[in-house]
Amino acid sequence: MNDALRFHWMMPKGGEVGMRTAQETSRVATRKAESPAAIPDIEGWTRFARSAEAAGIESVLLSFSRYEPDTILIACAMGRATTKLKFIVAYRSGLMQPATFVQQINTVSALTNGRVAVNIVAGSSNEEQRGYGDYLEHDERYARADEFLGICHDFWRDGDGVNFDGNYYRVENGQINTPFVDPSRNAPEIYVSGHSDAAERLAFSKASAWLRLIDTPEKLAPLVAKMRAGGIESCLRLCVVCRPTHDEAVAAAKALRPSEAIEKEERAILQASDSKGLKDALSAADDIGWLDRNLWAGLVPYYGSSAMTLVGSPEELCDAFLAYKNIGVTQFIIAGWPKLEEMMIFGRDVLPRIRQMEDQS
Amino acid sequence: MDLRFHWMLPKPGEVAMPTALDAVRFRCESMTSRTSPARLTDMDGWLTFAKHAEEAGIDSSLIALTRHEPDPLLVACALAQETEKLKFIVAYRSGLMQPATFVQQFNTLSRFADGRVALNLVAGSSTAEQHGYGDFLSHDERYARAEEFLAVCHAFWRGNDVDFDGRYYQVERGRIHTTLGGPAPEIYISGHSEQSEELAVSQGTTWLRVADAPEKLQPSVGRMRARGTAVCLSVCIICRPTRDEAIRHAQSMLPAGTTSNLTAVKDDSRMYAESAAIERDAYFLKPWLWAGLAPHYGPVWTTLVGTPDDVAEAFIEYKRIGVSEFILSGWPEIAELDLFGREVLPRVRERESRMRGVA
Repeated sequence: MNDALRFHWMMPKGGEVGMRTAQETSRVATRKAESPAAIPDIEGWTRFARSAEAAGIESVLLSFSRYEPDTILIACAMGRATTKLKFIVAYRSGLMQPATFVQQINTVSALTNGRVAVNIVAGSSNEEQRGYGDYLEHDERYARADEFLGICHDFWRDGDGVNFDGNYYRVENGQINTPFVDPSRNAPEIYVSGHSDAAERLAFSKASAWLRLIDTPEKLAPLVAKMRAGGIESCLRLCVVCRPTHDEAVAAAKALRPSEAIEKEERAILQASDSKGLKDALSAADDIGWLDRNLWAGLVPYYGSSAMTLVGSPEELCDAFLAYKNIGVTQFIIAGWPKLEEMMIFGRDVLPRIRQMEDQS
Repeated sequence: MDLRFHWMLPKPGEVAMPTALDAVRFRCESMTSRTSPARLTDMDGWLTFAKHAEEAGIDSSLIALTRHEPDPLLVACALAQETEKLKFIVAYRSGLMQPATFVQQFNTLSRFADGRVALNLVAGSSTAEQHGYGDFLSHDERYARAEEFLAVCHAFWRGNDVDFDGRYYQVERGRIHTTLGGPAPEIYISGHSEQSEELAVSQGTTWLRVADAPEKLQPSVGRMRARGTAVCLSVCIICRPTRDEAIRHAQSMLPAGTTSNLTAVKDDSRMYAESAAIERDAYFLKPWLWAGLAPHYGPVWTTLVGTPDDVAEAFIEYKRIGVSEFILSGWPEIAELDLFGREVLPRVRERESRMRGVA
């Protein structure tokens, strides 16, 4: 429990580093074909990545969708442009052979001295998956992801040849010569995200960390404890709005709500998804706005379930993060608005306070 | 159109090899040893190579895909960040990922490289290597799949929603928002089989094959040209100020203990001895085209051997039958690359401008 908490940040989509408001960066905007989110934003990302390094952020998560550039390529390019920051690459298991995936991830590790981790997602909406040529249903996608990661682990353990004969993959005497290059590991950290039983099982059996949306510490405590018992870390996704006082923070958070038009479209996206996590978050947001003094679901109806937000002063946020540490959470992946400024506030006002408290305990 | 010259990207670690034989040995070992430095990345060596290639007037560098080396899409991505002009021909195989995913990766690479990317699509490799990647199709089926793979890629590159219902791939309202940012990439299809020719015509821009004597290549090159497909030859190059030196260098690349008729070359009456040696050496397909390394290292080692004028003239002979591009390798890489840029390429360009003058 004495290890320092690890803080990661969401990499902004293309063009977002320069945007000021949450409204501009809503998914409704980024899913349009002409959105700048479709194009690599080398300048904006370089600025963001260097700021993240300065703010004490360990990694950035690169989200995967058909609306954005490929995450493995981004990790490669941005990894070459930085020196400390790590890249958590979100990828879906139905898109390539596990051997090819291992070869690609290992190549990125060799080019960045190990600064790459993997967030395996079993799939997305049926519609998006079919556009990739993947026709499996939700539960089967998890079964396939389990095989996928099983084979990846075999390659990373590196025997004299990987042999596997499953329902979804078959490999005979597989061999990838490029190893995972890192001073201290021979395989990347693996984050598995999802709230369904299938996701929990997958995280438990194949991941190094379970990635899920934030909830109140009381609700999360039993789940986190279960993961820890199996040696799996828990990492929470959340947004933060931090201002000098509680009232200022609440006012800033409320100002992030968009127009009714965006709300309607965003709701349609959420309802079309077959993800349990998204649906849970949506109903939570409909029922209640504040889950406790600092955890606010008020943005979820507009920006999706990952917009669950910790709102408060630096002292409040510091206490909130330590409350999660007390129940066994070890990592966080954060987002905020404006993308760059909120991270700088966190690095300046919140993180040093957390480190101080951690040192005292 | 002037001839275009590309160069194979050296394997990681190869640029530092002091002699041709060391480099050759290194390359061969990289395909069998599990601990060869070729399995890692070599940014310093590659960037040195890229700088020399740009200075020498090389158009693109071909990056191979094998299970023994790092992934070529990512190597190209890293190198593109730190180069200005050089293009990258990325070799990839069609059985390894969904075409939509490949398009997303390739388009992203194209954006990071300002469009300096082309594709060398390979239907597959040895059956054993393919099985290790999880691909169990037969040779002919791999070509049928490659055909579908590229058809889906082209559909994505044309834009809009992609629907495809084939034997190997299905896509329903496929959409990749990250576009290439330029025209569709050049697509090289390599292989010597009839299927590879057909695939090059139907889905590629360029047919890529190992060099042979021009008279042998003429029919197939003519066929490809008539069907609108360019032809690119893969060939090694050994160029030295004199033919004697070039032959001696070629000979130094043979495995130790190998005897060759080439050793018969004597200092006195050199011309006579050389031509005698050539006559005896069945591996000389032309006075300037030597297949003597092939029995030891494999068919891709067919080599142009000679003086700058010999070699320049050879390129022009290929140009006359309709070949328009070459992918070269040399030993050691950097020295041969510099020599090519300094001595050979200007001679080729001079001959080309004379040809234009005549025409």
